Amino acid sequence: MDLLAQYVMNGVMLGLMYALVALGFTLFFGVLDVVQFAHGDVLTAGAFAGLAAYAVAFHAGVHSAVPQLLAVVLAATLSMAVLGAVLGRTLVLPLKSAPPLNVLLATLMGGTVLRECIRLFYPGGSQPQRFPALLPSASWSLGRFTLRLDNVLMILAGVALVAGLSLLLRRTRLGLQIRAVAQDEETARSMGIDFRLVVLVTFAIGSGLAAFAGVMHGLYYNEVNFSSGLLLGVIGFSAAVLGGLGSLGGAVLGGFLFAGLQTLGAVALPFASAYKDVFAFAVVILLMTWRPTGLIGEQLGERV
Amino acid sequence: MTGTAPLLSTRELTRHFGGVVALAGLDLEVRRGELLGLIGPNGSGKTTFFNVLTGIFPPTEGDILFAGASIARSTPQAVYRAGITRTFQRSRLCLELSIFDNLAIGAHGRLEHGFVFNVFRRKALGRQADEIAAAGADLLEVFDPPLARRLHEPMAGVAMIDRRRVEICRALMSRPRLLLLDEPSAGMTADETTRLMDDLLEVRRRFGELTIVLIEHAMSVIQRVTDRCVVLNYGRKLCEGTFAEVSSDPEVRRAYLGLR
Amino acid sequence: MTAYRPALRVLSALALGAVIGILIYGLLAAESEKAVGLVLLAVALTVAAGLRTGVLPRLARAAGSGPLLGSVALAGVVLIAVFHDDPFVLLLVARALLVLVACLGLHVQFADAGVPNFAGAAFFGVGGYTAAVLGAGEIPHLLVLLASGAMAAAVGSLLLLPLLRTRGHYAALITIAFGLLFRTFLEVNEGLGGPQGLKLPGLRILGFAFNDDRQLLGLEVSGFAFYCLAAGVLALGAVWLVRRVERSWLGVSLDAVRLDETAAACFGISLGRWKIAALTLGNAIVGVAGGLSAMMVGFIAPNNFTFQESLVLVSILLLGGLGNLAGLAAAALIVVWVPEKLQPIQEFRYLLFSVLVVLVLVLRPGGLVRRRARQAFGSAAA
Repeated sequence: MDLLAQYVMNGVMLGLMYALVALGFTLFFGVLDVVQFAHGDVLTAGAFAGLAAYAVAFHAGVHSAVPQLLAVVLAATLSMAVLGAVLGRTLVLPLKSAPPLNVLLATLMGGTVLRECIRLFYPGGSQPQRFPALLPSASWSLGRFTLRLDNVLMILAGVALVAGLSLLLRRTRLGLQIRAVAQDEETARSMGIDFRLVVLVTFAIGSGLAAFAGVMHGLYYNEVNFSSGLLLGVIGFSAAVLGGLGSLGGAVLGGFLFAGLQTLGAVALPFASAYKDVFAFAVVILLMTWRPTGLIGEQLGERV
Repeated sequence: MTGTAPLLSTRELTRHFGGVVALAGLDLEVRRGELLGLIGPNGSGKTTFFNVLTGIFPPTEGDILFAGASIARSTPQAVYRAGITRTFQRSRLCLELSIFDNLAIGAHGRLEHGFVFNVFRRKALGRQADEIAAAGADLLEVFDPPLARRLHEPMAGVAMIDRRRVEICRALMSRPRLLLLDEPSAGMTADETTRLMDDLLEVRRRFGELTIVLIEHAMSVIQRVTDRCVVLNYGRKLCEGTFAEVSSDPEVRRAYLGLR
Repeated sequence: MTAYRPALRVLSALALGAVIGILIYGLLAAESEKAVGLVLLAVALTVAAGLRTGVLPRLARAAGSGPLLGSVALAGVVLIAVFHDDPFVLLLVARALLVLVACLGLHVQFADAGVPNFAGAAFFGVGGYTAAVLGAGEIPHLLVLLASGAMAAAVGSLLLLPLLRTRGHYAALITIAFGLLFRTFLEVNEGLGGPQGLKLPGLRILGFAFNDDRQLLGLEVSGFAFYCLAAGVLALGAVWLVRRVERSWLGVSLDAVRLDETAAACFGISLGRWKIAALTLGNAIVGVAGGLSAMMVGFIAPNNFTFQESLVLVSILLLGGLGNLAGLAAAALIVVWVPEKLQPIQEFRYLLFSVLVVLVLVLRPGGLVRRRARQAFGSAAA
């Protein structure tokens, strides 16, 4: 029972992280019909930006956790928002009229550039870096299961972000513009919406979400690694695909579904936890074979 | 013409796209050897009919009989093998390839595709390539003799009107029984259209039993070349007959001109 | 098209082969970083000038593909003879040739059939591990190499159904996931040596051990020279095969599938059959290269077959110009040799290649050299 609770907690944490990444993918696909494969590495870059901010804050004499945490989160999300917009501006928008495969390739390579830059230029970047524990370490015992406050806080924060995004998209003017562009670029433009600005803002938002997920990842595992973004990105993309690219609810659902699959894999194959990823992806591939555009995706038009 | 079964017939052919009803119980017949005009306002289902017929979309309901066999749920490949080919409303040629390559694609059913033949029996392959080149050149000659001499040029460097000709020839390479032409003269001047239609009639003369269904907007073309017409409106047959009969039908005039 | 006199063909082929041979010699012989830099500059200038003035393409056309391949092969043998006792250079040559073969397999899948494969290194690894498992026993090594290819094709067949059902980024996800997880799968698998990997015996054909250094005509010949020859034969064979496939109805059908699936289907082309053929053939080619490579190195471990390495293979295809075999060969040589020759950039090679590919994609989507149109294969052929 306690083991189950542990698994559930773990699954919820991972599911939220994956959902945050998947939301980015689905947003980008919604507004531009593109898959931005550097997104996972943006997550890592965000985590490292947060780490750098912590180091700077620490050396500047900031020693209490709350301002440190604030610095980390702000540095991560804001810097990645900018980076996301830059990536959109330099890699994605210029290739808008090229075959879609080119954007995929360009962003895949762009992600490598990010990853290698972290590995080569961040001090000690090729080794896993300790991520500071900035959240309160209080915990409650429920039987033999320990409920940790930091996990609860992260879950609440993650949920708040997802809710905030939903509010942004449905209640604000910006959100309306984003949805308009996602629906139909031509019409949105003719209605006076600044297409490029909306796209860049969307990239900024999505990347900021990924950065937050990166910080969450660092806080949860107490470490960050230059290569973790690659797998997380592919997982996030799979999650977005499972839920149907372009569907926000689907992205969240997909994130939790993938986390659930990983948990199932870990439970079913306790001898090799690495196999949980193989298991989860195998299921994803099977699901995609059955439903090529996701469980809630649009039907492929042509049957040829 | 009486007494012989039609080459193609549809029964209650229906196709929905989400909420849109593109074909709504279409019943039509195409008789052997005829040149049938398919006309109707934009969105009346003409191209959708071609797409359903050639297996790109399955029908939501209804049946299609071709030479007695049902092809309603066939794949596009099976439809091709049955002897139906087509051109597309927006020209779909492989611009990266040469004219010859594009024609060879049309002749796919006539080609030898074994690995051993293609990699090792090069002389035989060369002979077959020459055969296809000759057949392609013959077809192109009907439409434009200079085009026939440019067989190995890349498609990208070919003018639009010649591309349409190549597309028609591609559809003829397999010696089909039924040829579907989707607005072949779109974007052409009146003179170019006249010439294209003359060439088409010439091809029909040479090919004997070639049945053609032609989607066209220019009424002068329909009047001149078609044996019969079918008028579509909102996905169903509004009227059929010769052009004279159809153009004087009050329902047709209402649909096209909005007259009450 | 004018028919070229045989003498002219031979001369053009020899001239082109000589140019290529000299440039490659310079690249391989250069020791200091300055020298390497100068040679690279010379190569770039020669190629650029040759292309701009049209001299290189005209020579290539005049030579015809057969004589040209023969001339390049001759240049290769000469180079191997020149470096007969330098194992470092010979190893570089062999590695580049095997990478070229692997990229040829990916070329069939990506440039011909239009299916990108982001798990190229994984299939290379499947070939290597097959050689490791089978090579230790009594099975003749030629068969082992064939088995390496067959095994790679077999493993690839697991992905066939998903790849046929999906398109675009969905299909990409499948090979990306496979490429990412292959290493994990190997590391966890103690039966295949786990993270430490496996040892392999050297290649041995009809009693001839490739690993041994020998004395030939009074010269000390490193064992790697024979591996170079083997890799060279494999590369020539692969180039020959791919060209034959492309210049035939097989190539036309693959192009049709790549360029317009709907139209291809409407003319009777079975998309599934052709994609399966391309994927299977491609993976088999990659697998054979992987098998020979593992036997040459004598050792195989999971961390050689990362997703990053798969991306390097794709980068080679893109840098050389998708669809351009000469460009592919040049890119393979540059990508394998330059980081080895310019030690300072070794660490930075992934970064460098990724940046280059991004630049190519954004600035020159057609690759650095344009794709060549198919040569006619009837009597209209030169």
